[in-house]
Amino acid sequence: MSVAELKERHAAAIEAVNDLRERLKQRRQQLLDADGHKLHSFSLLYYLAGYARSLGRSQVTFGPTDLVCCRTLQGHTGKVYSLDWTPERDRIVSASQDGRLIVWNAQTSQKTHAIKLPCAWVMTCAFSPTGQSVACGGLDGMCSIFNLNSATDRDGNLPVSVTLNGHKGYVSCCQYVPDEDIHIITSSGDQTCVLWDITTGLRTTVFGGEFQSGHTADVLSVSINGTNSRVFVSGSCDGTARLWDTRVASRAMRTFQGHEGDVNTLKFFPDGNRFGTGSDDGTCRLFDIRNGHQLQVYYQQHGDKEVPLVTSIAFSISGRLLFAGYSNGDCYVWDTLLARVVLNLGSVKNSHENRISCLGLSADGSSLCTGSWDTNLKIWAFGGHRKVI
Amino acid sequence: MPPPKEVAGFPSKENDEDQQYSFAVEYTGPPVTYDIPRAVPINVEKIPVAAVVSKVPLSNTELHIPVVPPILAPDRNKFSKELLLQPTVSPTSVIAFEERVSEDTNNCLLSGELSSYESGELAELIINNDSSSRGLAAVCSVSNEHSSKIDSCDSFDKSRGSSSRARISNDDDLNQADWGSNESVLSLDYPSSRVSSLKTGDCNNESNGDVRRPQVVTFRDIESEDGLDEDFSQDEVQAQVVRVKREPQTKGKKGSCYRCFKGNRFTEKEVCIVCDAKYCSNCVLRAMGSMPEGRKCVTCIGFPIDELKRGGLGKCSRMLKRLLNDLEVRQIMKAEKFCEANQLPPEYIFVNGQALSYEELAILQSCPNPPKKLKPGNYWYDKVSGLWGKEGQKPSKIISPHLNVGGSLRPDASNGNTQVFINGREITKVELRMLQLAGVQVAGNPHFWVNEDGSYQEEGQRNTKGYIWGKAGTKLVCAVLSLPVPSKSSNSCEEQLKSMTSRSVPDYLEQRTLQKILLVGSTGSGSSTIFKQAKILYKDVPFSEDERENIKLTIQTNVYGYLGILLEGRERFEEESLAEMRKRISSKETEPEAGSSDGSDSKTIYSIGPRLKSFSDWLLKTMVSGNLEAIFPAATREYAPLVEELWKHAAIQETYNRRNELEMLPSVASYYLERVDEILKTDYEPSDLDILYAEGVTSSNGLACVDFSFPQSSPDENIDTAEQHDSLLRYQLIRVQARGFGENCKWLEMFEDVGMVIFCVSLSDYDQYSADGTNKMLLSKKFFETIVTHPTFEQMDFLLILNKFDIFEEKVERVPLTRCEWFDDFHPLISRHRTNTNSNSINNNPTLGQLGFHYVAVKFKRLYSSLTGRKLYVSHVKGLEPNSVDAALKFAREILKWDEERINFSLSEHSFYSTEASSFSH
Repeated sequence: MSVAELKERHAAAIEAVNDLRERLKQRRQQLLDADGHKLHSFSLLYYLAGYARSLGRSQVTFGPTDLVCCRTLQGHTGKVYSLDWTPERDRIVSASQDGRLIVWNAQTSQKTHAIKLPCAWVMTCAFSPTGQSVACGGLDGMCSIFNLNSATDRDGNLPVSVTLNGHKGYVSCCQYVPDEDIHIITSSGDQTCVLWDITTGLRTTVFGGEFQSGHTADVLSVSINGTNSRVFVSGSCDGTARLWDTRVASRAMRTFQGHEGDVNTLKFFPDGNRFGTGSDDGTCRLFDIRNGHQLQVYYQQHGDKEVPLVTSIAFSISGRLLFAGYSNGDCYVWDTLLARVVLNLGSVKNSHENRISCLGLSADGSSLCTGSWDTNLKIWAFGGHRKVI
Repeated sequence: MPPPKEVAGFPSKENDEDQQYSFAVEYTGPPVTYDIPRAVPINVEKIPVAAVVSKVPLSNTELHIPVVPPILAPDRNKFSKELLLQPTVSPTSVIAFEERVSEDTNNCLLSGELSSYESGELAELIINNDSSSRGLAAVCSVSNEHSSKIDSCDSFDKSRGSSSRARISNDDDLNQADWGSNESVLSLDYPSSRVSSLKTGDCNNESNGDVRRPQVVTFRDIESEDGLDEDFSQDEVQAQVVRVKREPQTKGKKGSCYRCFKGNRFTEKEVCIVCDAKYCSNCVLRAMGSMPEGRKCVTCIGFPIDELKRGGLGKCSRMLKRLLNDLEVRQIMKAEKFCEANQLPPEYIFVNGQALSYEELAILQSCPNPPKKLKPGNYWYDKVSGLWGKEGQKPSKIISPHLNVGGSLRPDASNGNTQVFINGREITKVELRMLQLAGVQVAGNPHFWVNEDGSYQEEGQRNTKGYIWGKAGTKLVCAVLSLPVPSKSSNSCEEQLKSMTSRSVPDYLEQRTLQKILLVGSTGSGSSTIFKQAKILYKDVPFSEDERENIKLTIQTNVYGYLGILLEGRERFEEESLAEMRKRISSKETEPEAGSSDGSDSKTIYSIGPRLKSFSDWLLKTMVSGNLEAIFPAATREYAPLVEELWKHAAIQETYNRRNELEMLPSVASYYLERVDEILKTDYEPSDLDILYAEGVTSSNGLACVDFSFPQSSPDENIDTAEQHDSLLRYQLIRVQARGFGENCKWLEMFEDVGMVIFCVSLSDYDQYSADGTNKMLLSKKFFETIVTHPTFEQMDFLLILNKFDIFEEKVERVPLTRCEWFDDFHPLISRHRTNTNSNSINNNPTLGQLGFHYVAVKFKRLYSSLTGRKLYVSHVKGLEPNSVDAALKFAREILKWDEERINFSLSEHSFYSTEASSFSH
């Protein structure tokens, strides 16, 4: 094969690729067109639920004791803003506006650590995969890492072990890259997400910012794919969610439109092929990362009242249930398949008295922890004796 | 047993049932003088049906239902009401308690176990003559209205039987025995607080004349009866405060764990500091949960502790140490000691006949010489000498004098009868003896003034007659007579005052005394200057070493930046003048002067030599690439001489003279550029003023906060109460910059708890334009609108600071205010009458600057009231002048104070400790 021939074939291949790309673009455009949009999204919206029903799937039902509040973690004096579970042990870290991180033992509801933060305006916290350290970030624009094993200073405060400095805005969310204690991904009000190397304290990769495909407003949340830790999604005030590959910093792999408000929170579906979002428009949505389409909308009518914002979401281990916290103190348990509310934890007795700001499922999926502006955290779990089928 | 006569209103329905159903004993005691409480006929409709109970069959052996009981919320009133599903009140609710209190006036003593009073039937009336339980005069047990529903339940019957047996035998274990067997779901859910206060005299004083019996008695455990403090109960006679005493909710046999009912009195147990419930090591963690307020049952969280246990606060037991790790134990103990619910309730402490407030108690407890082991009760306090004692008794201690707590001292405070007075108090005989032994002349019933140092003088005379505690022997005498002597620390008054101002506020008070002020401003509004100014004004050490080092680097980088702007300007000017020159040459109209000075070889006054040129090019290149910060501070030593040379060069100076045309160059640049040689030295140390002028010092992370308190206005002035509280009041100034915080202001909701917002706008911005061509004033206006209308700040007070008033005053003379379209209707009236001399016009008419300020202020006020319907506070500030900033921040303080007063004004007295904000107002 001569060089000229190779070149020719190369050119042809490039042309073919470009052609395909163009057609893809056209097709997508067509789907999203004003006319087609309604129709198509309509069919997509009800596809999942309708298909499930046609298969005769019945709705998940909850008995009165299936999900009860079995622990109340009291100790914060300010609004709880964020919480995270350890992957293996039953410990929780929570961040509150009183300027403290508290590490709880969820079984005994004891506090094991109370960390006074240099900056009280903390927005997020995370447990490292090994459970050795916790990270937090807030309005100071820094992500601080605390090693739980380090010795306390004279005043009984845990010293900051690493400070990740480099964001130009507040740090809104942070999550450790699973299976390693040395990488963490943060999202910030400066419209970027950053992958950090904790050992050096330097930025490894910056996602967004000056690049065209980045977010155009504050990034509020990140979630790393549980099955492929190189992929993560971010949700932003620009109403979009974006999918990133940590190896490709230059552009987002996909942009997910659909929300009519800030995307406050998002979480990967357990299978890693989908993710859920929660937004200021009061809806939760389910997107597929493979085709970039929206699969489902979870929205509860609220009459003419103000629509409560979705503050935080979490999926059950199977993915059948979606827990969503709302700004009015509701916490709905959605049936992801049929898009119906199974239970409202906000109306259960002993529930929170204020906005539910964060929630998280333990690693084994046995219990749900909710944090609220009423300064308490509550742990919900299966409370009755029922035959396990 | 036939039903007793007293319960005549016993419903017929009950009578139908059977004889065995009667669970009352006939009254056999001495004739009673008081009214017998009558039972209210039962109303079947009103019987609350507890669904939970009726579903689960109760058996004698099964005490737990197979449902994990959810942990009770602290707000149990609400909960129990919900459970009842009836308008009847639970025994734990406040309403019931009040009712019971009112009932007490009818001399009826009820102990409501498991019962709601209203619908309950009076079934049993026992007068307990046993003198071993002094406090108990009578026990009126009200049976549970549920009995008609669940009468088929064996256990209930049985327990009833046992309870009557127990009562007949008049056992000490009256309560433990019967309620242990009467365990039911309901008793799990209703922690019965058997609250009863009664007047003893009414009940059984005939039968045993116990004189020392307290008049207000809290119904307590027999076990804890032994610990009854004599003076404690004495004090309560006059303190007409009915205190809620919580009782443990379940009781097993005596000495067993309250939760698992196992073990005996010798097993190690942890005691709840509220209700005295005891738990074994297996149960304590489950029963007490995370112990956010120390060792309290989960249900007791939020309730005041048992005063008898105050001494044990923060003292850890061995059991806890074994169960929990060190850190947890320390945290729990700290919480126990310092959490608010466990603090001594100030309203139970009377000083000179006046109940204390939170602040007074704080003053009392945090003074250098506080009364030890303060318990609820009545005290007298001699403010002049610091003598302190229980009402009606001799002094017990000398505490710090001059504390402003309680009312004024009464002459009969210590119940003396010697006709000798000290500071207006008639002293006791013991004191008189002491005075005599100390050599004080006490003949003729003198009235003494005694100061805190022991110096005394007769009333109305100036000369000090001597020192009471001056002699060595006096202290011995005092010790013998058990009278107090002043401690060493209270010797000098001044020292005390000093220590009072510098002392730390108790932990639990910190929160209520910290007032947060949020300082917001868009870029270039000078909010950082105000922040720095506040730091310099109110902090002893405004900037730490590290901060100063960072600031130094920032300043040096800034200087290079300014220089770069100058060089850029120079290039532009050079090109311009060259072009002009060429034009002139080409048009052959060369003027002689210009030609001679510039020369003909394309050299202008803006030209520099090749060496400087290369440096300048390099500097500009680095600036464009944005590496200025990375390179420069490090390379300062190398370039400093070059920069100096450059600065002194005529071309740069010429450019500098035209700095008004360089829009990028900030006005502060000249401050630094004129001292460029000094600043670029490696050993340069920025002065406070340098720091004040510096840009970008605090904006590195967008948020900065400083805690401060306003210093007392003048140290000579006598410190009155208001001042004292001022020194206690701490403020936190939080400064956030709009840049990097996005337009959505998601972060604003974090500042919900701030007391007020200071919004900073630069007055001189009216002719400035941002990069995209919008007027900066309009940008500020837009930002102002966003912040003001943010739901978080719905009821917030706003103070608008119009900053850079000095620049504005100067600028408004040159550039009309109407340059900004928002201000296009600014037509100052005085402009034509103004004389040329500015100094003259200050006195009679306001200057244009002042008029402009008022105009802008009104613009913002109108905007604010149209958006929120409230009043906007406005102040003008010259950010670089300390006095101006000080005045503005003090203005902010006044607004905060006024706010508190307004709250106090609208709320009544009793809300004093329910509303946090009102508790620190004067």
